[in-house]
Amino acid sequence: MGDKIQEMTEAVKRKLGEIKTLQELQDLKVKYLGKKGEVTSMLKGLGGMAPEERPIFGQKVNALREELEKSMERREREVKERILEQRLQKEKIDVTMPGKNIELGSSHPITQVIQEVEEIFLGMGYSIADGPEVETAIYNFDKLNTPADHPARDLQDTFYITEDVILRTQTSPVQARVMENQKPPIKIICPGAVYRSDTLDATHSPVFHQIEGLVVDKNITMSDLKGTLEMFAKNCLGPNTKVRFRPHHFPFTEPSAEADVSCFVCGGKGCRVCKQEGWIELLGCGMVHPKVLENCGIDPNEYSGFAFGFGVERIAMAKFGIDDLRLLYENDVRFLKQF
Amino acid sequence: MKASIEWLKDFSEINVSGKELGDILTMTGSKLETIEERGKDIENVVVGKILEIEKHPNADKLIVTKVDVGSEILQIVTGADNVSVGDIVPIAKSGSTLPGDVHIKKGELRGVESNGMMCACTELNIPVDRYPNQIEHGIMILPPEMESRLGENIVEVLGLEEEILDFEITSNRPDCFSIEGLGREIAISLNTEFKNPRKNLAEMKVENKTELEGLKVDITAPDLCYRYIARMVKDVKIGESPDWMKRRLEACGVRSINNIVDITNYVMLELGQPMHAFDINSIAGKHITVRRANDGEKITTLDDQERILSQDMLVISDEEKAVAIAGVMGAQNSEIEETTTTVVFESAVFNGGSVRKTAKKVGLRTEASSRYEKGLPQENAERAINRAVELVEIIGAGKAVDGKIDVYPTKQTFNQVEFNPEKINRLLGTNIAREDMVKTLEKLEMKVEGNTVIPPYFRVDIERLADLAEEVVRFYGYDKVDCTLINSEATLGIRTKAQKLTDKIRQTLVNKGLSEICTYGFINEKDLDQLCVTEDSDLRSQVIPVKNPLSEDYSIMRTTTLPSMLQTIVTNQSKKNKNVGLFDISRVYRNVDGQIEQGNVPTEDTMVTIGMYGENVDFYILKGLVEKILSISSVLRYDVVSEKCNNSYHPGKTANIKVGKDVIATLGEIHPEVAENYDIKGDVYCAEIWLDKLVKYGKMNKKYTEVAKFPAVERDIAMVIDEDVEVGNIERAIEKKGKKILEEVKLFDVYRDEKIGAGKKSVAYSLKFRSKDKTLTDEEINSTMEEILKELESLGAELRK
Repeated sequence: MGDKIQEMTEAVKRKLGEIKTLQELQDLKVKYLGKKGEVTSMLKGLGGMAPEERPIFGQKVNALREELEKSMERREREVKERILEQRLQKEKIDVTMPGKNIELGSSHPITQVIQEVEEIFLGMGYSIADGPEVETAIYNFDKLNTPADHPARDLQDTFYITEDVILRTQTSPVQARVMENQKPPIKIICPGAVYRSDTLDATHSPVFHQIEGLVVDKNITMSDLKGTLEMFAKNCLGPNTKVRFRPHHFPFTEPSAEADVSCFVCGGKGCRVCKQEGWIELLGCGMVHPKVLENCGIDPNEYSGFAFGFGVERIAMAKFGIDDLRLLYENDVRFLKQF
Repeated sequence: MKASIEWLKDFSEINVSGKELGDILTMTGSKLETIEERGKDIENVVVGKILEIEKHPNADKLIVTKVDVGSEILQIVTGADNVSVGDIVPIAKSGSTLPGDVHIKKGELRGVESNGMMCACTELNIPVDRYPNQIEHGIMILPPEMESRLGENIVEVLGLEEEILDFEITSNRPDCFSIEGLGREIAISLNTEFKNPRKNLAEMKVENKTELEGLKVDITAPDLCYRYIARMVKDVKIGESPDWMKRRLEACGVRSINNIVDITNYVMLELGQPMHAFDINSIAGKHITVRRANDGEKITTLDDQERILSQDMLVISDEEKAVAIAGVMGAQNSEIEETTTTVVFESAVFNGGSVRKTAKKVGLRTEASSRYEKGLPQENAERAINRAVELVEIIGAGKAVDGKIDVYPTKQTFNQVEFNPEKINRLLGTNIAREDMVKTLEKLEMKVEGNTVIPPYFRVDIERLADLAEEVVRFYGYDKVDCTLINSEATLGIRTKAQKLTDKIRQTLVNKGLSEICTYGFINEKDLDQLCVTEDSDLRSQVIPVKNPLSEDYSIMRTTTLPSMLQTIVTNQSKKNKNVGLFDISRVYRNVDGQIEQGNVPTEDTMVTIGMYGENVDFYILKGLVEKILSISSVLRYDVVSEKCNNSYHPGKTANIKVGKDVIATLGEIHPEVAENYDIKGDVYCAEIWLDKLVKYGKMNKKYTEVAKFPAVERDIAMVIDEDVEVGNIERAIEKKGKKILEEVKLFDVYRDEKIGAGKKSVAYSLKFRSKDKTLTDEEINSTMEEILKELESLGAELRK
């Protein structure tokens, strides 16, 4: 009997070594360990044995069964591993082949700049206001302290619809509309298209975009204006950006300033982009003129405010290195997809 | 405003370089635009005397000269024909440099050695009219007395070195449109002394007369002329101005004409007050009237152009004719001539707005008008005319006549401005001491009396506290003001519902491969014809024309965004871009019910416009995009209705999306005729979606619906039906009878073939039934299915089993 067990052990070991597929292994399992398998029948044969032999033989058969189970398990793992390895080997691809193109579109560079600016000011508690592009002269000029014979009305060559209705030359009329309809505190920016009678060339366009900012509250100071714009410039143009405020004149602010930023191409050393000056003119700003506050129904003795405004195209061009404004309005998809 | 350092030094100590001065003034409000350094580009050019002139042996048009340049005698060959022995001329020696980076070297001319070059005025950048008797195309002949300076550097001898700064002057500072005003700003900016050399002018006592040597002056339009002063000089000898005056004029960009005209320009540049000079003999009746022009009145201005005037313009007139357009330009008929012996100077103040409008209307913006339009102070006029008369005597051009005629109907008013240092500091966010503020204001010649400031006559721009704050902080230094962040009530920084939706739509379209374009709000009136828009369409009747368009292409505000999109598609097709998908989020402008005529703003609506062409586009892809937009806008209930009447679109491939009766979007293929009108090749698909309506109908507040607990049962239906029956109708029929237990209707097959027959199609649906609260029985589903089938049969469907 012992011989038989010995024989069987060896036979299984031999067969296991030859096995290549999981199916063969399964068949082997059934052959020996299945319900009608050889080991099982051996155990069944125990009944015909002498009672004293039974436990000894039973033990031996059980030991055999355990050993076979173990070696089959071990073999199963090996076979599985080998099969997996072969599969992985077979499935190998050339990862340097080109990727499949997933077409994405793009938002317009002007939109991208506007959104970036919006994010910065939303984070500072500003909301985004909107107003008509076909505007009345009253909102575009009169309320902003630019009366009928003010020279500024000529400087910005205006498109007229009628005597009283024009295409807005600036986003500032939105300021006036907001001030009339909202009590301070007011903290808004208003991005949008503006119109001036300039022929389209590399640096001019009859339509362009501006972003206007306005804050009105108690105790708003010029140092708040400086701090706010410095925060904006550093976030929009890089943390090393320096801001310089120069006195200037606008009818709707007093004191007024122009803000220059250190050239983002050369960092202020002087280059072609900044015309060797090291500075690039960024925006106009100032403390809201008391007459403007009055015109919009806000008491200048109680409230003060600041306002600023800048051109989006100028920033987009500088930021993306675009040297011709016309590209922004030509909308060639090969240009658009670069952004 | 151009100014030479040399002239500015009359008014202020300048102890820094031109560049530094420019940088400092930039920070106090007069921005340096450009800086010109004359004479720096001339090197090694000296004074020489011609000793000998001989013919060139090999060339008829050349001469060989010997020139004494002090240290040596040079042989120079030249082609000039205006030189003679003994002439003193500028010599560019070998190794010299001339303006324009011209280098002169020793050389041979037709075999004869030449060791330099004689220079013409133009070669040294000297205006031909600065020195007497110079000719344009000839060697500059220096005055004989310069013989004593042979060999000396021409730059020093002629004083060619000059620094000219060009400042940007803001429109509120007409006083800085003068050397005097700039000089004052410089003195304060540099903290040096303002020399105030023209202080004497205001103190001159000139008797006011009603008649001056027979001359009378009247103002009949005092609303446009606030002051008119006339003074007279006689025994005038018209001639050239002295060198120093010409040079200063040139530096400021003004050409020298003759001594009298030059004086008027000189005074304007120096003091900021435009002047005019007439020949007394050309003033008929010796009677000057400042009056409104007659409609259609003609005048030929000094630039030899005939101008037609109108009633809103002001003229200076004699008893017969207009002799000047007030504040703009004089007329030829009263010009100073070489024979003039008695001159009337005019120094007047006109209404700035009127001068500006007149200058614009006649198309003539002059140095004078650009000053007047900013609004000049009446009090400066007398100083200016006194200066002009003084200059006549200084340069010996004539003799002053005693007395003046000063018609001064509108006296200058002086503001009394509240001065409150605490308020100023509060506005600026600074802590500037009162004394320092007072010091600055006093340097600006303002009178500080307790809590009141009275600005000087030349600062008409100072009206209120904020103006004083600007003056204070200009000289305190904008850079010294702290940077702080607003310290006040917190505000919410969030986007509105519409703004959020816009961003979401944009992002979705970008993710679907479309690129955003940016277009003008203008279109051409012809665009509406090209779009085949019907005559009675709102798109035409609501159009807003631009009164002064740049060109026909920009002549109206668009009532539809299609032209902008189609133009962009044309551009892309012409660049050979294939398979293009574009979108535009922009406005249309509609004059609804005469809004504009009533002085109101028109209606502006924001549109999402999609435009696509190429291989991967058809109606259903476009529709899928539009439905995606509707879905992210949470517009859940809408109808898709075939649209056959929109002439811009293909009648068989176009749909409107409607909520109730309101069309919220139109989508389809562009009509082939329209495509042809725009020169578009191939099929183009466009959609126009009213963004504001998406916001209106979108249910942004999302609600949870329970996830199904009971199993669904699926059934398929296939039918043959007339081609004309739209699947939309079939779906509506199914939904109508499917009632509550029908969860989903999915079209999975549509085909046509010969077996089915012409004019028919086979349509197949998969239906999903489910109940919220139990497992459905076969009987329940069967009875519902039966009703659905009956309904479909009534549509003419033949069911396939």
